[in-house]
Amino acid sequence: MYQIRRSAASMASYVALSAYALLSLYPFLWMISSALKSNEEVLRSRSLFPSQVHLNIIVDTWNQLGFWRYFINSVIVAVAVVLGIILVYSMAGYGFAKTNFWGREFFFMAFLAMLLVPGVTVLVPLIQLLKALGLIGSGAGKVATYTGLIMPIINGGGPFAVFLFRNYFASLPEELHDAARVDGCSEWTIYWRILLPLATPAVATVGILNFISAWNAFMWPSIVLNNPDWFTLPLKLKDLDLQIVIQWNVRMAGSLITVLPVLLVFLVLQRYYIRGLTAGAIKG
Amino acid sequence: MQARPAIVAGDGLASGQRKSFWRRLKANSGFLFILPAALIFTVFGFYTVVYSIVLSFFRWNGFGKFSLLPFSCQYPACAFVGLGNFREFLYQEPTRSRYFWWALEHNIIIGIVVTAGTVLIALPLAIALNRAARGQSVYRLLIMLPMVTAGIAIYYVWTFIYEPDGLLNTVLNSLGLGFLQAKQGWLGQSNTALPALMVVLVWSAVPMATILYLAGLQTIDRDLYEAAIMDGANPWQLLWRITWPLLYPVTVIIVITSINAAFQGYEMVYLMTYGGPAGHTEVVGLQIFKYGFGDQRQLGMASAMSWVLFLAVFVVSLFNLRIMRSRA
Repeated sequence: MYQIRRSAASMASYVALSAYALLSLYPFLWMISSALKSNEEVLRSRSLFPSQVHLNIIVDTWNQLGFWRYFINSVIVAVAVVLGIILVYSMAGYGFAKTNFWGREFFFMAFLAMLLVPGVTVLVPLIQLLKALGLIGSGAGKVATYTGLIMPIINGGGPFAVFLFRNYFASLPEELHDAARVDGCSEWTIYWRILLPLATPAVATVGILNFISAWNAFMWPSIVLNNPDWFTLPLKLKDLDLQIVIQWNVRMAGSLITVLPVLLVFLVLQRYYIRGLTAGAIKG
Repeated sequence: MQARPAIVAGDGLASGQRKSFWRRLKANSGFLFILPAALIFTVFGFYTVVYSIVLSFFRWNGFGKFSLLPFSCQYPACAFVGLGNFREFLYQEPTRSRYFWWALEHNIIIGIVVTAGTVLIALPLAIALNRAARGQSVYRLLIMLPMVTAGIAIYYVWTFIYEPDGLLNTVLNSLGLGFLQAKQGWLGQSNTALPALMVVLVWSAVPMATILYLAGLQTIDRDLYEAAIMDGANPWQLLWRITWPLLYPVTVIIVITSINAAFQGYEMVYLMTYGGPAGHTEVVGLQIFKYGFGDQRQLGMASAMSWVLFLAVFVVSLFNLRIMRSRA
């Protein structure tokens, strides 16, 4: 009797899971199928299977609409953000976990306190600041503008990265550190040559979380970037909104180009992504 | 001064003022590791927060000159108004204040409905996921898909679903439920826009909550269930007496994050409805954005409103933490 009830329950679990997985997956299937259809068929047919596969939609979106360019821009922004965050905040995490200095706890709390401030609060001041620094506006080139775009994103990723790196470094045995000191290593060598290479899981976690959010970022880049040639993928995608005749297949092809790289990164580093999500909530 | 023995290797002769200065510097040299982070924080974090606080006491349309360092504010484009901005949108100016309170009402509705919806869907889903011995990683992957998707792609897919001749209306029609259709599109009608928006928000929030619940479930000792089953507990009791109480800390986290997102988030609203139709989905974050970057700029107003929003978020979070901690 108990066995039967148990297997019925597990059956129900699978039904619920499958139903929700479908709800979660369906928009993606629809995205892929629409990117392969003619626009007329997207509007007419609700079937997930295109009557005829139009691969040229994606190819044209990539070449003629110049999505390759926005793809490169997105890569530049996301990679710069990730490298910056990993370097700056692994150092800070090391400083907080393994060295002593005056005001250490105060600075740590100050970092974390920034998590409380809503992003929208500092949008106006940030733009004014970037203008004053000459990083945006008519005179600013691509490198300057991207610097202005990236720095606040790095700062925004700071609190969580510091928190994660500090915890990770603190969990590494103190003996490692002491032994290196006895051997005459400087603090920098200990950090760069010994402890950072051991922190690969933390690096991967911070990296993937920030890669995905930088890649998908929309509001902030849309305020900073005025030159259409410098757009990232989400901005270009939003631009398709302005088409007079809505081409759903092009929109979906563009969406696919935007979503696919993140999906690939996510597939490979899934484990670290989940670890990052649960790090603050479960252990902290 | 007390030197830290672990860092400073004393040579026994350090008595001079100069030596002790170097010693002190060396003892604090760990600060160099946080220096880059501290610089970035000071410029892009601390400075902008101070700027925003100061700006909230000024009226400024974005033209002319307002600057914090060095301070300048030139009339007529800029003027000191004290608490004028706050008074204006809180109660003084009829149109502004009505729109503000209406937007806040939407934030509150979103906070309650989306949070409840997320917990109600995510918990059973996580329990099912935890039971699924086979295929767990595949299901988990599928459920997490919406999390890593760019908001703009989500927007396109869902607008297609919500269009007047979109997927939802078509499906309703084919099921013989044509009378339920939203003829002007689900996002276009004032009575369906907010609910339609909240469905998308729940859809986007469920994955994160599910993953957190799953991680929480995996820390629960299975022996607890075995023992309870021995004592004759039914599944309902297992859920209410073991799972729910033990997952309470996770629920607290989910509720707080979800309410924070409901008050602070506006990207999805910006993309899907821009507050429309006629303000029926307006939220405070979007209103701040419009004051800051829209057609009629009132940058001081934007700052003032964002600090009221901050206060609201802060108080609600604190309140939640208190109530939920005391019950746990």
